[in-house]
Amino acid sequence: MADLAARRPLLRPLRLRPRRAGAVTAGLVLVVAVAGTLLAPILWPLDQSAVALDQTRLAPSWGHLGGTDDLGRDVAHRAVYGLRVSLLVGAVAALVATVIGGLIGGIAGTLGGRVDRVLMRIVDTIAALPHLLLGIFIVAMLRPSLGAVIASVGLTHWLSTARIVRSELLSLRTRTFVDAAISGGAGRRRVLVRHLLPHVLPRLALATTLMIPHAVWHETALSFLGLGLPPHLASLGNMISDGEGSLLTGAWWASLVPGAVIVVVTLAIAVLAARWRDRLDPRVRAELHL
Amino acid sequence: MTTTQPATVPARPSDPRTSPLLTVDRLGVRFRLRDAVVHAVTDLSLTVHAGELLAVVGESGCGKSVLAHALLGLLPGNATVTGRALLHQPETEPVDLVSCGQRRLARQVRGRRIGLVPQSPATALNPVRTGRRLLGETLRAHGRDRGQADRLATDVGLDPADLDRYPHELSGGMAQRLVTALALATDPPLLIADEPTTGLDRPLVDHTLDLLRRRCDAGAAVVLITHDLAAARRVADTVAVMYASRVVEHRDGGDFFTAPTHPYAEALLDALPDRAFRPVPGHPPMLTALPVGCAFAPRCPRRADSCERAPQPSPVGAGTVACHHPILPGAAP
Amino acid sequence: MTTRTAPARRRTGRLAGAAAVVRRRLLVAVPVLVATSVGMFALGAASPVDPAKQYAGAAAFTTSEENLAQIRANWGVDDPLPVQYLRWVGNLLRGDLGWSTSRHEPVTSVLAARAGWTLLLIGVTLAVVLLASLLLGALAAYRRGGLFDRALRAAAYAVESMPVFWIGLAAIAVFALALGWFPAGGLTDVTATGTSWPDVAHHLILPVAVLAVSQAPWFLLFVRDAVAESLRDDHVLAARARGLPGRTVLFGHALRTALLPFLTLVGTHLPELVGGAVLVETVFSLPGLGAVTVEAALGSDFPLLAAITLVTTAVVLAANLAADLAYAAADPRVRLDG
Repeated sequence: MADLAARRPLLRPLRLRPRRAGAVTAGLVLVVAVAGTLLAPILWPLDQSAVALDQTRLAPSWGHLGGTDDLGRDVAHRAVYGLRVSLLVGAVAALVATVIGGLIGGIAGTLGGRVDRVLMRIVDTIAALPHLLLGIFIVAMLRPSLGAVIASVGLTHWLSTARIVRSELLSLRTRTFVDAAISGGAGRRRVLVRHLLPHVLPRLALATTLMIPHAVWHETALSFLGLGLPPHLASLGNMISDGEGSLLTGAWWASLVPGAVIVVVTLAIAVLAARWRDRLDPRVRAELHL
Repeated sequence: MTTTQPATVPARPSDPRTSPLLTVDRLGVRFRLRDAVVHAVTDLSLTVHAGELLAVVGESGCGKSVLAHALLGLLPGNATVTGRALLHQPETEPVDLVSCGQRRLARQVRGRRIGLVPQSPATALNPVRTGRRLLGETLRAHGRDRGQADRLATDVGLDPADLDRYPHELSGGMAQRLVTALALATDPPLLIADEPTTGLDRPLVDHTLDLLRRRCDAGAAVVLITHDLAAARRVADTVAVMYASRVVEHRDGGDFFTAPTHPYAEALLDALPDRAFRPVPGHPPMLTALPVGCAFAPRCPRRADSCERAPQPSPVGAGTVACHHPILPGAAP
Repeated sequence: MTTRTAPARRRTGRLAGAAAVVRRRLLVAVPVLVATSVGMFALGAASPVDPAKQYAGAAAFTTSEENLAQIRANWGVDDPLPVQYLRWVGNLLRGDLGWSTSRHEPVTSVLAARAGWTLLLIGVTLAVVLLASLLLGALAAYRRGGLFDRALRAAAYAVESMPVFWIGLAAIAVFALALGWFPAGGLTDVTATGTSWPDVAHHLILPVAVLAVSQAPWFLLFVRDAVAESLRDDHVLAARARGLPGRTVLFGHALRTALLPFLTLVGTHLPELVGGAVLVETVFSLPGLGAVTVEAALGSDFPLLAAITLVTTAVVLAANLAADLAYAAADPRVRLDG
């Protein structure tokens, strides 16, 4: 494609730029998803308890875009609310993971030495554990609930953040402007706040954003197994789990539609975050990916 | 393994040259980077005949190695190659190495018609293969007998027992001899040897050079890319001096070493230990920011206003020189 | 004389160093297992679940307070925590993994009956994923920027954002229900009287495919990038310059060297595969560890959960060790005794 446009100057304005097109699409998807979930209670109120037993397991149609489930409830409608719950839980859990990871990575990166070695050994240890099993264990010991799910995500997902923050701080420590600030008489706290935080914060924000899809998947997996959110918080995972029974009777939409919502939204987040990462670190965008 | 010091330097072939083997015509290589364009080879024209040993000399970073990779189609995706490089074949039409495509290069040219002794042997060897496996693989790919491996090793001055070592177990000189043996395994009519004497001590340097010389005397052609003028003087029939992506002087070896015409060539020769032993002053220009005029002008003792324009190659004797103020034979030094 | 024997001696020397690597890995593995067990025990102790009532199960409501107290005393539930921990670890080391309160049988018999199926699922999947990603990733790298490369990468990114159980449900909807090619779940046919391997294989195709597809993107993208990079390596260019066939250059040289870092990374990715296996087993109702894990979690069955997590961790660590040894075998530059 690019070669063709390069050879024929007339085609140049028509050159497709897949990276940008993808990012724009992803942005639109996210805006619609977030606005939809925020405005849904006003625009499209949902009565969670409403059942219509004369309309069970209807296939997707213009009247019911996502069909209806085995209690006659509109799947697309419930999916909007499910997304609301999933995104909210995912975002909060990702934030918890970031706080844990940021603190541990921050301590390791600023203190260095033995503390760093011990903390990083702990990180490596937890990384060697299957984190879904660990997450299940945590939920089981705390009893399935909203708090248990958030704890389960937070306690299993902070490792990458800790590593990012630590290596960022360690590489900053060797840079001249930090030396200059220290030799200029700035105290440790001042150096941290004035010089290091501004460098670390964008990466931390990026790490949190990249974490949200993972947090959503973890929550969804737990909910699918019946270990996640309680039934009254109808997250997408709960919906998939509920719909699994209908699947065998041919009503695939009850579980596949909520799943598709997760796929589209998390893919959009991942695409945007990848774009953001390229901006932060152009070196990653090597010749290989052009 | 002992090396035999040859009693005499083999005689240079007589002048009525055979038909050309490789004709390079206005070859250009550019690399697109994020924020710059590297002009690695500019407007380069050369001819290599069968039986000729052409030495391409110049400081490092002047585009010598890129020339070798361009002829074999091994440049990365961000390179643009212009011009022509015709490889003449005995019975068929000549192949244009620039435009013939990867498939043809892979099936007909590389290894078969043109061999390459790559630069930096330490990285040019697969770290997880022994020399014997690499040699055997190359011989087999070209339908040759794998039993030749020991003979090839001996030819380049490598103990055949060392073929069973992995590259990281070889010294720099041993690795150098191994990559030379790999290039010779296919016995190509044209061999491009990119700094084939790096890391070798003097007897082995001479051994390798004489090996290349003997190939030419047997009718093959060799392009010896080197920054070592002493090596070129020992074996070259013709010499091409590259400076900042261009060939600035291309002449018969004997004429060149007795009376260089380009000021840069003279400066290079003056840097030799048995001459003035005086380094070329200044630094070569960046290939990303070449001047419009003569690229050597800032370092040149003979520069004048006319050097603002790029000099074109013009005939001097049987060769060419690209300079507005060449040192012509007979003129006062 | 000496040069001729040296390489041979070096090679046996490399194998002899394996013991040192095993020792070094164990030095890491033991603290990891200890730390994991302490962590889990602490979580279990902090849990609001009363193990005695858990043990008694539904009978807890009818069991008298004295009986519960008797159970507590038997189990030493009221002992100080360190004492309890040491007793638990001591039992583990003697092979007594405890009593599963959700399955009402010893944990060891639960593991013995089910771990094999999970290992089979994971093992077959890993083999499929490795083969497929090496082949497809190398081909994508060879023609990078081409249609195949771009399509494969787009697919990989898309699959990466699909939850594995969703892929599983979709696969059931399409291949089991709509097309009827494969069974929708279970390990053997409902009418089967025993387990025959062809039947099991037929039942495993869909779960293995789903797990493989869900895990493939990470492996595929890694291989693709590594090979793309290695194709620009000097030694690969040199191999091309020698006129070796494209297949030999790609698989024999570029892929071969790109494979080395890949080996160790496979080890680090195993935990992910285990998590995926739990979900796939649940979707396809396979009688592996996945289903009992969920059951144990719902019943707060500490002994079973702890055993499963510890055993899996040990297996993952052992697999990492195997990857290390494979790396040393594949790369002559690595000296095990170093």
